[in-house]
Amino acid sequence: MSAAIAATELSKSFQVKVRDSGLSGALRALFRPKYREVKAVTDVSFAIEPGEIVAFLGPNGAGKTTTLKMLAGLLYPTHGSVQVVGFNPWTGGSAFKRRITLVLGQRQQLVWDLPPVETFVLNRAIYDIPDADYKERLDELTRLLDLGAVLDKPVRQLSLGERMKCELAAALLHRPSVLFLDEPTLGLDVTAQEAIRRFLLAYRDRYGATILLTSHYMQDVTALASRVLMINRGRLLYDGALEALVAKIAQAKRLEIVLQRDVGEDALRRFGEVKSHRFPNAVLETPREHAAATSARLLAELPIADISITDPPIEEVIQRAFALGAEGEAP
Amino acid sequence: MRGPGRSRPAAVLGALWKLNAAEELQYRANFVASFASTVFYLFTALLTLDLFFSHATTLGGWDFWEVVVLLGVFNALSGLVEAILRPGIGDLAAQVRSGNLDLVLSRPVDAQVFVSFRHLDLWRFTDILLGLGVSTYALLHLGRFPGAGRILVFLVTLVAAAFVVYAIWVILMSLAFWFVSVENIATLFDAVFEGARYPVSAYPAALRFLFFYLLPIAWTTTIPASALTGRLSLATGIVAGLVGVGALVFSRLLWRAAIRRYTGASS
Amino acid sequence: MSARVWARRYGALMRNAWMVDLQYRASIVLWVLWGVMEPAIALGIWWSIAGTGSVGGYTRTDFARYFFALTLINQLTIAWDSWYLDRWIREGDLNFKLPRPLHPVHEAIADNIAYKARSAGTLLLIWVVVSVAWPVVRLPFAPKTFAVTAVAVVLAAMLRFLISFTTGLLAFWTTRATSIMELHAGISLFLAGRIAPLSLLPPVVAGVASWLWFPYMLAFPVDVLTGATTGPAVWAGFRGQLIWIAIWLVLCRTAWKAGIKRYGAAGG
Repeated sequence: MSAAIAATELSKSFQVKVRDSGLSGALRALFRPKYREVKAVTDVSFAIEPGEIVAFLGPNGAGKTTTLKMLAGLLYPTHGSVQVVGFNPWTGGSAFKRRITLVLGQRQQLVWDLPPVETFVLNRAIYDIPDADYKERLDELTRLLDLGAVLDKPVRQLSLGERMKCELAAALLHRPSVLFLDEPTLGLDVTAQEAIRRFLLAYRDRYGATILLTSHYMQDVTALASRVLMINRGRLLYDGALEALVAKIAQAKRLEIVLQRDVGEDALRRFGEVKSHRFPNAVLETPREHAAATSARLLAELPIADISITDPPIEEVIQRAFALGAEGEAP
Repeated sequence: MRGPGRSRPAAVLGALWKLNAAEELQYRANFVASFASTVFYLFTALLTLDLFFSHATTLGGWDFWEVVVLLGVFNALSGLVEAILRPGIGDLAAQVRSGNLDLVLSRPVDAQVFVSFRHLDLWRFTDILLGLGVSTYALLHLGRFPGAGRILVFLVTLVAAAFVVYAIWVILMSLAFWFVSVENIATLFDAVFEGARYPVSAYPAALRFLFFYLLPIAWTTTIPASALTGRLSLATGIVAGLVGVGALVFSRLLWRAAIRRYTGASS
Repeated sequence: MSARVWARRYGALMRNAWMVDLQYRASIVLWVLWGVMEPAIALGIWWSIAGTGSVGGYTRTDFARYFFALTLINQLTIAWDSWYLDRWIREGDLNFKLPRPLHPVHEAIADNIAYKARSAGTLLLIWVVVSVAWPVVRLPFAPKTFAVTAVAVVLAAMLRFLISFTTGLLAFWTTRATSIMELHAGISLFLAGRIAPLSLLPPVVAGVASWLWFPYMLAFPVDVLTGATTGPAVWAGFRGQLIWIAIWLVLCRTAWKAGIKRYGAAGG
């Protein structure tokens, strides 16, 4: 099975004008500009199979958006190559553009003053979707995203969540096989976020679409992505399953306990690092290897009503991974 | 910063202006561009005058250099508009649309003052200097450089003219509460104000009426320029002063009505 | 791409443009007012200068007819795409339009057709009303002239669109594209006949104008409508329009290709 998205030693550097301060500097920059090379993305390689949902993680400025833009054909690489569903995105042309969709969280393609359905009609014309298919897909998307009530209201009257759902519908009318989603759940309330996650999974299950998304929300990552690509400072730090990352990085386990009677903090500290303590709950952290033994001791020595062993929050794991990456150690 | 007993708006404005100055000094490239732009427009204005005067000896009784004096006054007033008023009105449109205006209205500063003067395009003050420079040159050319008395009258009428211009903008800003796309209103002002480039006597009766009573730009450039060239009668000067003050009052009332309507308060 | 697909695309684009436009009814009124001020001021001055006599062969009523025709034709040919493009490029809206299988220029063209169709209707109405109220501007009813004018207007609109779109593309290279647009507008004030009929300009200036595209933007169709340009001069005018349309088309395509390449290198 050939990859849906394949990047090989993908690199992108920008030439940024360097300007000295002051009026003379400005003049000099006008006539003899100096440039500095900024390496936004360096030697990134990965292959994504059709039907995978992959999360792109990285701090702001890490190179996520630049890589995404190269995959969507908005930028061309300085080095290396990229193939998306068999096309070179930069030269793919209309044939390529019909197979993909790009959704940017902060901006929108919906026409602001008109009801969403007008943008859908426009997209039908742009992508040349046959009428029967259009009707069928619109019905399906309306059902899956629960758009019945909002299709005919002007976009400016919709809530952020409703707008995002309509945005997704507009982006999927032509049934692309590759979805590039940049922060699709940004700023949405919990209900809307969950609705969109459910929808994306359903869409992938139905049509085998490949989804590449960037997000700051860990729930997006844990609910949707089977795989994460971690980027920092333009380099790929990690490429693999989330659980494996957690297992590698998370060297500690969390013991979440419910106490029958409150005990002093000192008592808890004997068993591990106290992360939080608010009767009747408390959270301790101990090294992974000792987790089982420590929990046995806890049950024996303290009045415990309930205990569970979990991983540290994903955010912490990710942060740790980036910190390690910054220090030069690949996780 | 300021002594005690000064009104609040002044203190707030002072702080804003200092911040603006710090920001604007960074944008020297903007200065070069806007200065070049002003010089270009002055140049085209002179070319236009040259064209008119190649087919006529006077424009409404004014000869070439007298009209150039008026052009300088026009440039100075335009500079005032660009420096102080235009940056503010752009903000207002965005704020009305996004609903952020409520934030402005909740602050303990007079909203009209705040919105009008909040952002300054400091470099545009050079337009004022350039305009006055052009007028000075023309006056010297005419050999009729005004004495201290006439200069005083000029300054008074200039201030009155500035009042009228400001009042027109306040009226336009008030309209922003009804018509959402206020940028169009701003360009409408530009188009109408263009009529102030020429002495009002150069226009046929119908336009003269329009520019005196409906779109009162006749009170903006012609009067101060007349003061400089010695054409101004005392009576007209006094009326101009009254018109300036009256315009200010009227515009203030309109603004208040617009705000009341916007906030839903009963009048 | 089949004609049917393109018809559908343009239909949908124009329909959307039309509907958005309808929402801003107040703006339309202001818009018309704006279009009237500049010619009205110019007319006012020339009216006074001409007095009871004539200037360069133009009497007051000739000036009135000229500037009235200018107002109408300007609204039918003016293009704002330079400003929109400049914003699309600087604010990243282009990132939306490029991944779609539709070249952004089509959206711009469809917008223009929709708005001008709407303007044409309004202006026709205004023309009839004003002609009744102010006999001075009444133009003789001559279907042949109107037909020829219509062709000249369509060509002028195409030319101005290409110029506007191409200058907008400058935003790929500079943040000061709007300054260049203002420069062009400033020049067109004279050379396109906005401040005066071209025959009133100093001969040198009028000569320079005839070597450039400016007269074909506005002055030519206006002169056709008022009857100042007739016979072989009309054909010469059409030739000029077509030549400059071809030149600006080439400039436009070149600028787009180069601009997109640069966009792909430097990002939005």
